[in-house]
Amino acid sequence: MRNRLQLKYLPLRFPSLFPLILLLVAVTVNAILQPNLLELRVMNGNLRSFLPLMLVAVGQTLVIIGAGIDLSIGAIVSLVTAVLVTNLLPDSPPLVIIGVVALACAAGMAAGALNGFGVAVLRLPPIVTTYATGFIFSGLALWILPRPGGSMPEQLARLYRRVTPLNIPLGIWIALILILLWALFRHTRYGSYLIATGGKPEAAYATAVPVNAVRFGSYVAAGLFAALGALVLTLGTGSGDPRIGVGITTTGGMTLDSIVAVVLGGTRLSGGQGGVAGSILGVIILGLIRNIISFADVPSWNQTLVDATIIIVALAAPGLIGWIRDRRRRALPPKEMVQEVAG
Amino acid sequence: MDEEGKMATPPPVSLSAEHIVKHFGGVVALADGNLDVQSGEVLALLGANGSGKSTLSKVITGVLEPNGGELVLDGEVVNFTSPQAAQKRGIAAVYQELSLIPDMTVAENIWLGHEPLKWGVRIDGQAVRKRTQELLALFEGTVQESLRPEEPVSALPPDERQVVEILKVLSLNPRLIILDEATASLDSRQVRRLFELISSWKEAGKAIIFVSHRMEEIFRVADRAVILRNGKSKGAEVIAETTEQQLVNLMIGDVAAVPRQLAHDPVPPDAAVRLQLEEVYTDVLRGVSLSLKDGELLGLGGLQGQGQTNLLRAVFGDIPFFGTIAVSGELVRFSQPRQAMRHGVAYVPGDRGSEGLLLSRSILENFQLPSWRRYGFPLRMERAKQDANRVADTLSLVRSSLEASAQNLSGGNAQKVVIGKWLLRQPQLLLLNDPTKGVDVGTKREFYNLLAELRRAGTAILFYSSDDEELLGLCDRVLVLHDGKVSAELSGERLTRSDLVTASMGAAQDNDRVPDREVAA
Repeated sequence: MRNRLQLKYLPLRFPSLFPLILLLVAVTVNAILQPNLLELRVMNGNLRSFLPLMLVAVGQTLVIIGAGIDLSIGAIVSLVTAVLVTNLLPDSPPLVIIGVVALACAAGMAAGALNGFGVAVLRLPPIVTTYATGFIFSGLALWILPRPGGSMPEQLARLYRRVTPLNIPLGIWIALILILLWALFRHTRYGSYLIATGGKPEAAYATAVPVNAVRFGSYVAAGLFAALGALVLTLGTGSGDPRIGVGITTTGGMTLDSIVAVVLGGTRLSGGQGGVAGSILGVIILGLIRNIISFADVPSWNQTLVDATIIIVALAAPGLIGWIRDRRRRALPPKEMVQEVAG
Repeated sequence: MDEEGKMATPPPVSLSAEHIVKHFGGVVALADGNLDVQSGEVLALLGANGSGKSTLSKVITGVLEPNGGELVLDGEVVNFTSPQAAQKRGIAAVYQELSLIPDMTVAENIWLGHEPLKWGVRIDGQAVRKRTQELLALFEGTVQESLRPEEPVSALPPDERQVVEILKVLSLNPRLIILDEATASLDSRQVRRLFELISSWKEAGKAIIFVSHRMEEIFRVADRAVILRNGKSKGAEVIAETTEQQLVNLMIGDVAAVPRQLAHDPVPPDAAVRLQLEEVYTDVLRGVSLSLKDGELLGLGGLQGQGQTNLLRAVFGDIPFFGTIAVSGELVRFSQPRQAMRHGVAYVPGDRGSEGLLLSRSILENFQLPSWRRYGFPLRMERAKQDANRVADTLSLVRSSLEASAQNLSGGNAQKVVIGKWLLRQPQLLLLNDPTKGVDVGTKREFYNLLAELRRAGTAILFYSSDDEELLGLCDRVLVLHDGKVSAELSGERLTRSDLVTASMGAAQDNDRVPDREVAA
């Protein structure tokens, strides 16, 4: 008789369980080091600073569930940032703002479409394709906006920074909306297709799932979420930096951060399993860990070291667990043998 | 497809395949495939290894496009370009290699691609659950209580996965169902239930094509049988009017003795036992024992996928096993192929391209890959080349130079390189996994001579081949595997094609098979 709550199947049944535990630990440690952590003002500020990565991580999650990976996602953020700040003025009228935001989203989706074309149509390996296109997008970003600068509409930025509907931080609202959208999407045919494509592409193909269209779509969606991430990022800073997505302060920029958040959130890197809620928790955990590091007075070069260690541990953990389990399994006799001895 | 409630009875169906031809490159898989099947009928499709039965069923389901012949569905010539096209016309197949997504639930898998929808987009979870439960009820009592719609497929044992695969096909409500070895992983109660279902499908006007290697099942469920031999169909027998022996005879054709390929001296009785297996279990093998002496060529036969490859890989330390394996009288449990190599064991894999060769590297590198450490540091290249040339000459390997890359070699020559790299290490025990597949006749001949030479030098050889003729022509002894067990040991008088095919089909073996589940309960 198999145990329905066996450790092995827990992540499948409750994909957000482990990230939730991690989150509790991170919040506790952080609150000890920084007693005002849970005040609305501090929480709003914290969550707002996590928000861009949250959106980018959602895009990355979709691609990774479809058994791909997007190494260009940080560069797409840079590209869209450049498009936004060069076309907007502090006093742009609302119609212009809407037009430019639409243009920025289109740029993000076009970048995603290029990735999707390489992976789904030309059948190039996702890592190589997106690593290469990342340089194209970074290059375009630097061409549009050679040095940090530009501006965002002041009123909109002020609104974004201050608003806390029902006294709940904006970051939480957006996180809830994203989780709700995912829950809806997961229960459409396309949600099923995405998971099937990532889980076992040959079987999905044999079952009439349009595998290539699904892959293509996941990259386009990632481009769109990267664009939205760039939008809230520039609203937060008020100006743009063409290298913001590819790493000026942290080791790997938003690309690596997004992948780490996805992995921390319990989504499997090989695809076919996971969800957006976990990735959002992953982003918050990652942000809190960085908070803890800075509050613990770790020198900044150490911070990079700790960052990288977390990344390696997070990436290696699923493999290590599997390895330990396999070693244990090797020692067990097969079912038939046990039964025949018993009978 | 999405209408509520019970499935409507589909309209009657008739399908006939006429003179279907299919070749892959120069290899003819199917030369003249014929069958016809109507509503309310179960047609068994029978044949030995490589007779073309799975090719024929794949042509019918649109997985393969034929090179010649016609498929006639309901009196109209059809040309399926994909499995989806065949599905639209009501033809669906349950395959042995499962099409399930491990991380999705039972319900998601069954309805993937044709989910009942609400408001045109959202999957109607309630309807999915309800209709999945209705489908699961068909196998109620033969599967565990815990097989529920929301269970992930990766948590299911193989038999329940097969059940889900069957239900997935059933959810399409097809008119023609092809069951390709669908009973292989089911236990006896599940098989009995499936057969009850098959008779209800018959009554409902569905047509069923049943491909199985279990003779006993064919006699239980089929109305007629089409026999394939060497890619040609040989008669459509009415099951009620035939016998097992008649069917076996049709499968093997003229029951003539296979000519011995090579004359060789019998193994001296005092030769040392090189390999001994006692009650070896893996996830496929179910208690295999054998012993192999120096200078002996022991054949492994049976239909493909009955555990032969598993057995070779267990000996080589490639997969975990339970039981005892002794090499040269020493108990071994290799956990890495390198340990097996140190004990003088060499393994020639079945898939040359992925397991046997570094395709883009030179012949020399391929030859010396397992042996480089013997040539010191820095490598004594001249000696390495001499040795490689010597082996290449023994094998009469056709080569422009040792530096040529391995991917330009023909199938036969490529296989010589795979074998040659082990010969350089002078193995005492050679494990061969279907080494002559896709190899031309001339090279086969040379390969047989090589085997004879190795035997004279005292090498013990365990030889799996999917080519029955080869086994009968070369081996003194052949163990026939069926469902992970040795179903017969053939030698001397009994080393005939008829005995081999009969044992491969598990005929007269399945009746006393004890189902695992019932023993456990």
